[in-house]
Amino acid sequence: MNRFDVIVIGGGVNSLVTASLLGKAGKKVVVLEARDHIGGLASTQEFTPGFKCNVFNDTIKWVDSRVQDKLDLKSHGLELIQPDVVRIALDENGNHIAFHRDAEATANSIASHSKKDANAWEGFNQYIQKLAQFLEKLYALTPPTLPNIGLSEALGMRSMLGPIRKHGTRGLVDLMRVAPMMMPELVDEWFENELLRAAVSTAGIHHLSFGPFAAGTGYNLLHQHVHSDGVFHNAQFVKGGSGNLAKALQSSGNSAGVEVRTGVLVKSIDVEDGVCNGIILADGETIEADQIVSGLDPNNTFKHLVGPTNLNPNFNTQLNNIRYRGSAARIHFALNSLPEIPGVSQEQLGTIFSIAPSIEYLERAADSVKYGRLPEAPYVEFTIPSVMNSDFASDGKHVLSATVQNAPYTLRNQDWSEDLKNQLTQNVVRVLEQYLPGFSSKIETSSLLTPVDMENQFGLTEGNLNHGEMTLDQFMFMRPTASAAQYKTPIENLCLCGPGTHPGGGLHGANGFNAAREILK
Amino acid sequence: MSYKNEFTGITQLRLSPFFERTSKLNEPQEWKRWGGYLAATSYELHHDNEYFAIRTKAALLDISPLKKYIIEGPDAQKFLDRLVTRNIKICKVGQVMYTPWCDEDGKVIDDGTVQRLSENKFRITSAEPNLDWIQHNAAGMDLTITDDSYTTAALALQGPNSRDILNAVASDSLDSLKFFWMMDTTFDDIPVSISRTGYTGDLGYEIWMDPKDALSVWDLLLEKGKSFGITPTGLNALDISRIEAGLILLDVDYVSSRHAIIESRKSSPFEVGLGWAVKMKKKDFIGKKALEAELARGPEWNFVGIEIQWHELEQHYRKAGLAPGLPCTAWRTSTPLYKGSEQVGYATSGAWSPILKRYIALAHVKSEYASEGSELMFELKVEHFRKLTPAKVVKTPFFDPERKRSCPV
Amino acid sequence: MPSVKKYDAIVVGGGHNGLTAAAYLAKAGKKVLVLERRYVLGGAAVTEEVFPGFKFSVCSYVVSLMKPNVMRELMLPKFGLELLPLESTFTPLDNDYLIRTADADETYREIARHSVRDAEAYMRFGPAMGQIGMAVRPILETIAPNAIRPSLSDLSKTKKLLDHFKTLSSEQFEYLTKLMTMSSADFLDEWFEFEPLKASMSASGIIGTFMGPRSPGSAYVMLHHYMGDIDGSFRAWGFQRGGTGEVSMAIARSASHFGAEIMTEAPVEKVIVKNGKAVGVALENGDEYQSDIVISGLDPKLTFLKMVDENDLPSDFVTDIKNFRIRGSSGKVNLALDGLPDFTCLPGEGHHLRGAISISPSYDHLERAYDDAKYGNFSQEPYMDIILPSVLDPEMAPPGKHVMSCFVQYAPYDIKGGWNDQKREAFGDAVVNTIARFAPNIKDIILHRQVLTPADIESTFGLTEGNIFHGELTLQQLFALRPAVKWADYSTPIRNYYQCGSGTHPGGGITGSPGEMAAKKILGVWK
Repeated sequence: MNRFDVIVIGGGVNSLVTASLLGKAGKKVVVLEARDHIGGLASTQEFTPGFKCNVFNDTIKWVDSRVQDKLDLKSHGLELIQPDVVRIALDENGNHIAFHRDAEATANSIASHSKKDANAWEGFNQYIQKLAQFLEKLYALTPPTLPNIGLSEALGMRSMLGPIRKHGTRGLVDLMRVAPMMMPELVDEWFENELLRAAVSTAGIHHLSFGPFAAGTGYNLLHQHVHSDGVFHNAQFVKGGSGNLAKALQSSGNSAGVEVRTGVLVKSIDVEDGVCNGIILADGETIEADQIVSGLDPNNTFKHLVGPTNLNPNFNTQLNNIRYRGSAARIHFALNSLPEIPGVSQEQLGTIFSIAPSIEYLERAADSVKYGRLPEAPYVEFTIPSVMNSDFASDGKHVLSATVQNAPYTLRNQDWSEDLKNQLTQNVVRVLEQYLPGFSSKIETSSLLTPVDMENQFGLTEGNLNHGEMTLDQFMFMRPTASAAQYKTPIENLCLCGPGTHPGGGLHGANGFNAAREILK
Repeated sequence: MSYKNEFTGITQLRLSPFFERTSKLNEPQEWKRWGGYLAATSYELHHDNEYFAIRTKAALLDISPLKKYIIEGPDAQKFLDRLVTRNIKICKVGQVMYTPWCDEDGKVIDDGTVQRLSENKFRITSAEPNLDWIQHNAAGMDLTITDDSYTTAALALQGPNSRDILNAVASDSLDSLKFFWMMDTTFDDIPVSISRTGYTGDLGYEIWMDPKDALSVWDLLLEKGKSFGITPTGLNALDISRIEAGLILLDVDYVSSRHAIIESRKSSPFEVGLGWAVKMKKKDFIGKKALEAELARGPEWNFVGIEIQWHELEQHYRKAGLAPGLPCTAWRTSTPLYKGSEQVGYATSGAWSPILKRYIALAHVKSEYASEGSELMFELKVEHFRKLTPAKVVKTPFFDPERKRSCPV
Repeated sequence: MPSVKKYDAIVVGGGHNGLTAAAYLAKAGKKVLVLERRYVLGGAAVTEEVFPGFKFSVCSYVVSLMKPNVMRELMLPKFGLELLPLESTFTPLDNDYLIRTADADETYREIARHSVRDAEAYMRFGPAMGQIGMAVRPILETIAPNAIRPSLSDLSKTKKLLDHFKTLSSEQFEYLTKLMTMSSADFLDEWFEFEPLKASMSASGIIGTFMGPRSPGSAYVMLHHYMGDIDGSFRAWGFQRGGTGEVSMAIARSASHFGAEIMTEAPVEKVIVKNGKAVGVALENGDEYQSDIVISGLDPKLTFLKMVDENDLPSDFVTDIKNFRIRGSSGKVNLALDGLPDFTCLPGEGHHLRGAISISPSYDHLERAYDDAKYGNFSQEPYMDIILPSVLDPEMAPPGKHVMSCFVQYAPYDIKGGWNDQKREAFGDAVVNTIARFAPNIKDIILHRQVLTPADIESTFGLTEGNIFHGELTLQQLFALRPAVKWADYSTPIRNYYQCGSGTHPGGGITGSPGEMAAKKILGVWK
């Protein structure tokens, strides 16, 4: 009989975390992935013959330690590499700022631009870490339920007691100050050098449709620094590619009896009178289960699989109001040789590079999203993953993967066409060429994923990598909506576990962990 | 002698397709606002004749300000079944159903009629604009929604003689048209739809037509109806008759949950006397879960008819040296109802019924005091001083003539 | 010879909040002196006859947020407060227009011309916002607690507020969260579809701030503008007969009536601090006045960085005040007209001229205006909130003539290259050209033109950077953080030195609220 205790829809990181945890708890679990590969946002695959890439994320900010321990990911093959230099903010004249694991080393790098800023660095770094620690506590929680919650419950005040003891009420007050800030406000308080100010601001706009002048970018910056071990712009690489995170999770799941099926497209979730009973596959097969868990985003889960006619009006309104607005594109370049970056040594090539000369540059780039047009000079962040993973390209060839922000999902008065995609690629190459002289001559081929491509190929609504923007109005008890913020949803027996839930995007697996905990309650 | 004063004016309000006629007939030039339209309060200086036209002859009312929406498509019936509380599946083509609709908390948004024009085409009428709500809930359904408010004009012809008049005008006989059914016919060559519906609780019809035919239809009806006593009738007379019929009015007897700014202003169908129109056996509809829960714990409020007792009323006035002061039009000021010293309800509209010779009102009463025969005290002002006078919960409709539902054949 | 005279309290700055505080203190029997730098009272709420026969509410131009209890307790109607309703909000478009009036049927009809759904939603929006406004009222009426070292009463009032929030419905809580964090454009997109409507409504989210309608944070400013009521009707705007200065004058007359002394052309040089205690003030002319307490109605930067020495303040507090954001973003253009503007889309006179005229045809119009400012220029095609006071109150202009008040965004204080006469005039031209796009006759009827850049507003009215709210209304500058943590309850690190301007809770607008609450706080301490 086609019946499981739990069906998990989607084979991304959080789905696999939830499935494995439920499997470990003795449930009979099946994971259904529409694509031929598991991993979702943690996918490593060939983009052109002979060249592999990390499709979306080259690095991982953090993996929830609860997940690592409980699922014993190390013994299932997960190896995280943290380079000494986690990021380099490129300077047109080769006087780059390198962000090191060691704050003092970072300060030294800043010193060539501004002594004053170099002196301020450690203080700033500690300040951010301190505020992020408050968020860490929140991230392990299931958000409270509306209505009848007070502000203190809404903000998870009880869990704040630990950090408050450590940092005083002032720490909490500072969190309240910084979270709603816009980047210029934050950096004005600390730094004068524009390259540094912009480099800090990039953390605030990471995968956001807004520019640095948007209030609330302070929160996004803190989100990027949760569990960052005191390292600003923290980055960890997965040995063998990000896809290995998914593989480790799958292996852990398998050992707990979880069945993972790929190439299986779920057509609909079967709901009657507000109760979910199972799912129907594209080929007509039905599978029943006591509990359905969706790792897809809320839009795909409810609008496509459940269907609006099974949603009550308020919930439907809330779903309509979730903002996705994907605006990050990915370009993978197959290169005939290793690119050179003046001022960057060979050893430092295996890190992340950002191109953001000024806050104004970032804001102007974000204006293109506002007006729905191609960015002339987008904010570009790139890595050369083949430096660390020799199997990504052979024979001295290399891969350069760039995240291009400010590529709007919705263009005004036109759709994404091959022409426009070429134009965007050219714009990115032009930007890269300024910092990597001779770059264009090394390109064998390239592959661009616009937000629309991400939607079509990976089922990400509007191409949003976080399953909903990481803004304060879509935070905690509002994520993904006020009536579905506890992983359970208004549809009985249907739960969510993806990045669309608290605490949001990233390959940390915290959503999946929290969801599993709620399901097992 | 009579004055023949004529004038023209400017208004910022919408004019009905019948305005060219109604404005000439409106002797007091008294208008009320109705859905952004100018609507006649009464056509004669006093509304008595119009009221009795409804009950003894035939009254012609311009009801064009009603909001109307056409729902058409393969999912139309499924959609309406989800939207409203009554069972639309069993509504046959040509049938009309009166129903409320609720939000998901089971609170009434509006009430109106659903006409099944064909298998997959319906017209829904409402007191307030509802397009936003209808569209919102139609997401994912295979249907189209058209605002028909300005593209269909409507008249109500109400009263014992209304059928005779229509039989004289229409090319088809109305004799077999049953209560809450409708038919298509023509007046001369003018296509019209006639539904046997109304807001008076009497024998009556509503006539739906293209606005371009509005004046011809009006003229035909007045001409052929003259010998049957057809009388253009305004809202004052209608208001008395709808209270006699026990029919509720949005914004008077209840507040739409879409506009109520506090919870306590909202009402469930059970709390406005429409429990009979809630079909709990039906598959999921908007508000079902909440209404189930409410049924399980029992509604807090009931909506009832009350009759203010004549003898004591008269005594109060006699003590003041006056004849009983009765309202000559229907009132709409919320009036407290007591049981002992506790306020247990409030009447939302009331009138002296000229045909029943009873002082009646519609009221929200806490469920425990709402059973038939329950005795309450009604607050009354006699010569500036507040008095309490007994009132009794009675069955509605207060007035329910056999002719309302019967057919001659 | 320094004159010495002993007062209970001296208020620095004769703006409407300073006057309000003075009036309350005088009413309580205190001996109060108000010192105003200019020749005229009112600060930003001032009426001046800029051109002979033409009177202007030079800076602040409408009143809605004035607290009703202040009006009553200070008997302001007796002393000249007379608010005339602004009947409509009119948004001219290139080939059409949008108008919203006090009448529900007319507003429904006018919006429904563009979108029936919006017309329906609009009827629900006002009451919904009113409810949220009601919900936040208790915060506005509470003296902000010390968030670092709360006193017992701070804790009890915080608990009271937290309990109050528990009474909100989940929908209200949701709206409130959204309003606190979203952009006004995103918030309005959830309700409406007709862009000129959304743009015009979003405009109240940008007034006085350096944000665009698509900037997160602007929804809160929109809510701030919904918190006021006139005669119980939320979001109603009024025009003070005789100009906004008459509001200040009414408060001043009330203060005098209760015995306060008011001096104009008496610029204060410094607050005299002895042993960490304010003991009086020194005027620029060398005169000194002693008092038990000193209250500053100036903005936080002036209050702490100019009126006293940094050395008298704790260094973290100085940092907080330096970090307090006051960014000027708006200008004001006052026109003396030979007749009335004639709008192409709605020619002739009508009640569209008796209300606010909003130049906000689209989000893009506002955003482009913001973009100009973001990168250091004034808006080439600015957003404007225009009123014609002389239509409401004929005494504002000679017979047959009119005055037009244009509140203009954006004009950044920090314009590239700095403000000068040439740029001021170019800015004025941009304003007139933008009006002319909708009312071409404007150029023919201008008799005089007064252009106020943020730099002018700063130099004339003493508003730092020309910011009309004494500091931006961003989430991190509200309530217990306005103007700085620990010192959001009108007291300051200097004993007997208090603050009562718009830079304190609950913020800007002609509310009288900071003045009233500061006075109540001071009287509480005095007991």
